[in-house]
Order: sequence, then C-alpha cells, then structure tokens
Amino acid sequence: MELSYKNIAPFLTAGQNKVSRWLSYLGLGVGVLLLLSSVQMYTNINHLIRDKNTRKNGTDFISITKTITNENMGRDNRFTDADIKELQRQPFIEDAAPLKANAFKVSANAGNMIPFSTDVFVEGLNTNFIDTVPDNFKWNEGDEFVPVIFSTDFLEMYNVFAPSWDLPQMSEKTASSVQLFLLCHGRNGDRQYKARIVAFSDRINSILVPENFLAQQNKVLEGVDNIPASRVFLKTRDANNPQLLSYLAGKDYHINKDKTKFGRVKGVLQAVVSGLAGFGVLVILLALVLFSFYLQLMIARSKDNLQLLLTLGYSPSWLSKTVAKKWIPVYVSIIVAALLATQLLHLGFQHFVTPARGELPIMIDWTVLVIAVLLLGLSVAINYRLVKKSLTEL
Amino acid sequence: MQISLQQVVPDFFETGKANGSQLWNQDIAFSTGENVHIIAPSGSGKTSFIHFLYGLRKDYSGNILYDNNNIKNYDAEKFATWRQQNISIIFQDLRLFTQQTVSQNLEIKRLLAPYHRESRITAMANRLGIEGKLTKLCSTCSYGEQQRIAIIRALQQPFDFLLLDEPFSHLDENNRQKAMELMQEEATERKAAIILTDLKKIDYFKAERLLYL
Repeated sequence: MELSYKNIAPFLTAGQNKVSRWLSYLGLGVGVLLLLSSVQMYTNINHLIRDKNTRKNGTDFISITKTITNENMGRDNRFTDADIKELQRQPFIEDAAPLKANAFKVSANAGNMIPFSTDVFVEGLNTNFIDTVPDNFKWNEGDEFVPVIFSTDFLEMYNVFAPSWDLPQMSEKTASSVQLFLLCHGRNGDRQYKARIVAFSDRINSILVPENFLAQQNKVLEGVDNIPASRVFLKTRDANNPQLLSYLAGKDYHINKDKTKFGRVKGVLQAVVSGLAGFGVLVILLALVLFSFYLQLMIARSKDNLQLLLTLGYSPSWLSKTVAKKWIPVYVSIIVAALLATQLLHLGFQHFVTPARGELPIMIDWTVLVIAVLLLGLSVAINYRLVKKSLTEL
Repeated sequence: MQISLQQVVPDFFETGKANGSQLWNQDIAFSTGENVHIIAPSGSGKTSFIHFLYGLRKDYSGNILYDNNNIKNYDAEKFATWRQQNISIIFQDLRLFTQQTVSQNLEIKRLLAPYHRESRITAMANRLGIEGKLTKLCSTCSYGEQQRIAIIRALQQPFDFLLLDEPFSHLDENNRQKAMELMQEEATERKAAIILTDLKKIDYFKAERLLYL
C-alpha cells in the first residue's frame, strides 16, 4: 500500500476554526469569480465596440478643420506647413498629420458590373493615423492597381440611397470584391487605374489612397508639388483634455469629435472593468492569506506530531506535497464553480444586454480559461511552498 | 556499512570532561553485524551520543561518517532516506504519538519503508505481551507498555544499525529478556549492528564490544 494523505491525516490536528477555512474558500470563490467575469466582460466590451473604436493604444485620433465663417469664407482656409508644425509642438498633441487632397479631378465607376459612376475626391494620410491598414495598402510608381481605404460611413450612406437609384446594397465584403476604375483627369492629361477597397475605416471619413500615389498624381496631372491640407489629423492622449480644447478653440479650429465618443465610452468601461478585476485580485490575495493562516495554525497545532514524523524518517518534501495536494480538489472545485458562474453571467449578459443575437460567442473567452488554470497552479504552488516553509521551520 | 567517529566531542563538554572516555575524542568505527554495548553513567552524554549518531543534533566537534559520508552534511531529505533505510532507533523518551492508537503508531512507521507485513506487528505484540493494547490509545498504556511499543516500532523498517538508548528502563527482567531476544533476532536477520547504551551492563545482551563512555 502506498503512503498517502489518509495515513498521516490522523496525526494532523485539523484546524478547529472551520469558519476561517470556509470564509477563505468563499473569499477565494468570490475573488476568482470577480476576476474571471471582469476578464470576460473586458473581452465582451472589446468585441462589441471593436468595430467602432477610434482609440488605438490608449490614444485618441481626431480630425480638425479651420472653422468656416461668413467672415473668412473667401479666404484660403487650408492648413499651412507652419500651422501643422505649431500643432505638433503642443505638449498635449502627440502628433499631427495633414489629410492631403487631390488637386486633379477623379471619377470612379464599377465597370460593367454595377452601372454606377460618380465624381469623387481622394485623400492621403500618414498610415500611422489610419485604424485599418492592410499590408497591401501600398502603391509603387508604374502600378496599375490602387488600393483604397473607404469610410464605413460612406458605405452606410451609399446603402441608404442605393435602392432609390436602382443600385444594389452592399455589405463590406461585397464592396471589397467590386473592381473599381479611377479616372484621374488633370490639365496635363488623363490616367485610368484599377482600384479595389482593401479596408474600411471608422476613424476617417474619406476615400484614402496611398500618400505617394496622391503626390505623384498631383504632380504629374496638375504640376502641384505640395498641396495644403484642409483637414489635419491629431493624435492625442485625451481628446477631451481641456488644454487641447481651449487651444483649438483659440485657433478657431473645428473638431470632428463624434468619432471619439465610442473611444471614450469604451475607455471608461474598460477602466471600470479593470478596476473590478483589480478588486478581484485583491480578494483572491486576501483569501489566500486567510487560508495560509488556517494552514499555519494547523501546522502549529500539529507541530509535535509533524516533528516526530520527520524524526522517524518522513521526508519534508513528501509531507509538503501530500499535505498541499489535499487541497487541490478544493481549489479545483472553487475555480470550476467560478468558471461556471462566469459562463452563466456571460450568457445572461448576451441575453439581457446585447440586443442582437450572435454578436458575442456563446462560450467564455479562452483567456478566461487560461487565467483560471493559472490561478489553480498559483494557489497550489503557494500552498505547497507555505507548507514546506512551515515544515522546514519546525 | 560502517559508522566512524573521528574525535567527536560535544560542544557543551567542559575541557577535560572527555578524558578517559573510550568514545569521546577517539577514532572508532562500528560495523554492521556487530553488537556494541556502551556503558555510561548519568551525565556522561549518553543520550547526546545516540542523538549525534542519529543526526538529530550537530552540536559537537569532530566528524561522524556513515560509509565515509559526513552526516553533518546531510540535508533533511537525505536524513529522511537514511532513517527510512539504514538506521533505526529506540529513544530513551520513546517519542510516541500519544493521542493515536498503538496500531497507528506502529503502522505509520511500517508504511514508510515496509520491512514486515502487517501481521508481523500482531506477532511481535503477542511476543512482548501487548497484543491486547493494539487498539488502545497510546496515552492509556503504562510506560513499560509504551517502551515495548517503541521497540516494536523500531523493528518495522530495514536498517544497518539499531540504536538503543536505555531501552529497558521500565521493563521487568522477563520482558527485558524477551525484548532483547526479539531485537537480536531482527538485527541478525538484517545483518545489522546493535549499539546499546545503558547505565550498567546488561548480561543478556551478547555484545562483542564493551565500551565505556
């Protein structure tokens, strides 16, 4: 018969304080549930607001224009290089980039596939400011194909008007597969390019083409080297920073702020959920401390017996492992229960909070499972080290 | 297998106290298969000597080697393995789990490194006259009975050396002889050595060497 905890159990005085043991179990359960459900909620929020996110790596992206009034209507209200440099120098602005427009005329059509043709404008922007930049958003001189990043708002607008023009409504996927033709017309001649939408942008209300394509066409077709920008994109830590707002107001710059709202809402929600997760970690730590007191008390009460077991030849590491292993089923039960509760909360969230079905996956996120397994390992490891340390100190 | 002592003197001995001892401050070795009887008056460090040999205390100068390995260098795990396989002991203060039954006290040792089957415990208890006590709490047994429990416990494992520290102090003559016979049989079966310390010479312990501490 192999030695097991059952053999040494009678020699260990179980802690008389059952209340402290059960409180630590409860605390651990509540802490784990808080942490797991916060992580799940965090991924849910990410999932739900992902498509509408204008924040990237904790920064806001906003576009500004010069306010057009009756007084300045006749003047050139575009940004000069000096304006942009001044913006870049402000401490509350991380970076600024002009949204450069076409100096030549552009019309787009979809060939024979969709009977559709319209004059359009195209713009170019530093790719660091674009939320969705696929690898193929590149153009080299001589290429006949031009990749386009299209505003999701424009697609929505198209879908609103398409039925009344007898045009088909299109999903993002279908729109991406439509072969477009861009006809560029300037005083120096005409050029035709094949084009396709390679990505959709929530952040930028425009039709974006690679910057070098735009610069080259401006130069070749219109002989313009550096066209001033009507819009400038700003990268800032906080679009609602009062210093930034008063600076822009002082300069009579108009902010396109609606795009920042989702970013702010998401930021606040994530901060709340992160706070909850932090609280969960705190509760777990407190529960583990409480449980460690219970263990230490048990070891202190069984000190004489444990000392005698060691004297008789019981190995400290075997004793530590065996005593620590006893609580693995308890930890497993607590963490599995917390996982099930997280799954139920997740289903409840789907049912009561998200309006449309199928927006969120039915099962909890894999990161939650990974965290649960890590917590289990952590609890068992802490337990083992604590018992071993207490035994060594006997 | 050999236990060698190299100039071992307890740290707490006053200068000169070890003079005249055949063990303290000497180079001496004990080999498996021999019986060593150490006679030691009170206060001569008899229990300390046994504890040094068992590795319970390290407050001595000199070295104690087990097969050329200094036991002072053993860590807790090594001591555990050594005490499971190579050395067994009967303490003068017995060191039993008084709140457990006699059976539990014997089984907890037997299970660690089983040398005998469980049935052998009953046979040994029969032989030493404590078979009726197996299911009783240890604390309800007399000191003499507890001494016999400690003797049976020490015989549940394999060993090369059996250390006895005044093992019969509370036994009558008849029980002493029975216990000694049992221990010598068990040691012979294992080709092990018995190192017995007592205040005076025990005639029925057939020792090859008689040493004065």
